[in-house]
Amino acid sequence: MTIGTQILGDLLHGFVHIFASSGPVLRQAARRADGRLGLAILLFFAMLAIAPQLFVGPLQTATTATGHSLEAPSGAHLFGTDELGRDLLNLTIHGARISMSIGLLATAITIIFGAVIGIVAGFIGGMTDNVLMRLTDFFLVLPTFVLAIILAPVILDVIGTGAEFFGIRATLLVIVVVIGVTSWATTARIIRSQTLSIRERMFVDRARVIGAGPGHIMRRHIFPNVVNLIVAQAVITFALAVFTETTLAFIGLGDPFAPSWGQILNAAQSAGAPGLEAWWYIAPPAVCVVMVVLAFTLFGNALDDILNPKMRGRR
Amino acid sequence: MASRYLGRKLVQALATIFAIVLMNFVLFRLMPGSPERVLLRNPYLTPEKVAEVKHKWGLDADLFPITIGIDPPTFRINERNQLTAFVGSTLTGDLGYSLKFRGTPVTDVIGQRFWPTILLIGFAEAIAITVGLAVGAYAGWKRGSRADRFGSGISLVLYSMPYFVIGMPLILIFAARLGWFPTSGMLTIGATYGSIFEQLFDFGRHLVLPLTTVSLGLIGGYSIIMRSSIIETRAEDYIATARAKGLTDRQVLGRHAFPNAMLPMVTLIAINLGYVVAGAITAEVVFNWPGLGTLTVDALSSRDYPVLQGVFLLLSITVVIANLVADLVYAFLDPRVRS
Repeated sequence: MTIGTQILGDLLHGFVHIFASSGPVLRQAARRADGRLGLAILLFFAMLAIAPQLFVGPLQTATTATGHSLEAPSGAHLFGTDELGRDLLNLTIHGARISMSIGLLATAITIIFGAVIGIVAGFIGGMTDNVLMRLTDFFLVLPTFVLAIILAPVILDVIGTGAEFFGIRATLLVIVVVIGVTSWATTARIIRSQTLSIRERMFVDRARVIGAGPGHIMRRHIFPNVVNLIVAQAVITFALAVFTETTLAFIGLGDPFAPSWGQILNAAQSAGAPGLEAWWYIAPPAVCVVMVVLAFTLFGNALDDILNPKMRGRR
Repeated sequence: MASRYLGRKLVQALATIFAIVLMNFVLFRLMPGSPERVLLRNPYLTPEKVAEVKHKWGLDADLFPITIGIDPPTFRINERNQLTAFVGSTLTGDLGYSLKFRGTPVTDVIGQRFWPTILLIGFAEAIAITVGLAVGAYAGWKRGSRADRFGSGISLVLYSMPYFVIGMPLILIFAARLGWFPTSGMLTIGATYGSIFEQLFDFGRHLVLPLTTVSLGLIGGYSIIMRSSIIETRAEDYIATARAKGLTDRQVLGRHAFPNAMLPMVTLIAINLGYVVAGAITAEVVFNWPGLGTLTVDALSSRDYPVLQGVFLLLSITVVIANLVADLVYAFLDPRVRS
């Protein structure tokens, strides 16, 4: 078995474990008013993101636009049209898929990086811990958003905007990678401190006595005990990722062919929508972004409260 | 003890800044479009001329001070190398030349855009800290009341809004529809002023909307954290003692709870500084405010890497210094941290 397949197997095992064991905590969070509100909003947007074409048909482009330029909302176009005549309801609902899949992928990268570095640093300790934590502190201090702004065009210029990986356009992938690379540090810190306390528990000693290696202990004994924390952290990271993606797309790092909500707002700004009083161009994507970020923040805070009541609201 | 703490923090900050400079160097070498590649597109250039230009720019030197080869095994120290030259010129404040502004030094380009951003962020921070802490402290003190639910709700919504999402509706309503304020810029273009007050008034009119945007964006975060800090403080024994002494509710909040709850806020405000400037980028874009944010986005769209690097260097050093100051202030305020 190669290292690659083993890592893949571990990841798969990890995700299955996360889904299987996070049930009780999620249920507990859903019992609180704020958690329930967050969850309801999330389910709604998840539905839109999974099958946008069911609700509004295929994504409209400049050539398949159904309306005239900047029409106000009417019976034919409930949310009005943009400067190319594209229906904004159509764009916004397809935007859900793009914004949320970028958010999901970026969250996955962030959490994998953060969890692996946190567990390894906390469990191995010593020099490894020292080096990894200096690196983490470095990334915690860096203004990551500005770093993202510099990294994105550099990577794009190196690999070219036309490239595609697994059918995902390079521009989107770069945003995913940039968000992941610049935001794992918080997760690593949190997971490490939890690992430090679990490492001292009796069952870890027992595992070591019966001859388990460090890799096995980290995977089978430490990881299951930090899963809840990982879930809570993932939810909060998702809010951050959607927020960052929206902002990056707004300042022109998005993909014009894949209109995320930030990309639509970027188009609205360049079309001069605020000055033209085209409120229907701004409101739908803006409201969606705020709702999703708010929902994830609410839900994440609910999880956080349940998991460590003493640390409540520190973030 | 205290001086050792101070020394350790100082060394950490310097190491971070050095790492940032190093990262800037590596990123710079990754970038496409170095001067020599542009030169090579000209077919009439002789190889000698290319070599001469490369020598002039220092591009013929080795990248790093030490060259280690495995096959064949080599170890050599390069006295003339690009890294030392880069670090040296960065230390002397030479950040290179802007591509977009026709060879203007990066420091000059950034210098022109520095003050508008400082003014905007400075005023916005002052407003947001005052309002945010007040709202958060009151909401936390009256936890569960209607005022708390209202204040916390608004704070959470504001916290979830990127600056441009706050700014765009403000322009639409107050500039385009009502015409109370100008839509963009810092001063009316081509205006002549009779006195300094007229100019200040014009500046103020332009400042209102961007300032409101950034302040609103900041209030949410400050108020949420102040609220939880107050809630934690309220459970402390000394609060009960203060009450038992017969102090009024207002006195307990003002003299005992608020100062102690402020402790974590000191760090937060300092750490936030870098994010504030970065976040203000989008607010500046919406209002076309001539600060570092619009500079960054312009540099981004024209791939003006030297300027982007300069902005990154400036912002990260600001954040590192802000963190250092926060650590020191915190240690001064709370002796427990020092040990």
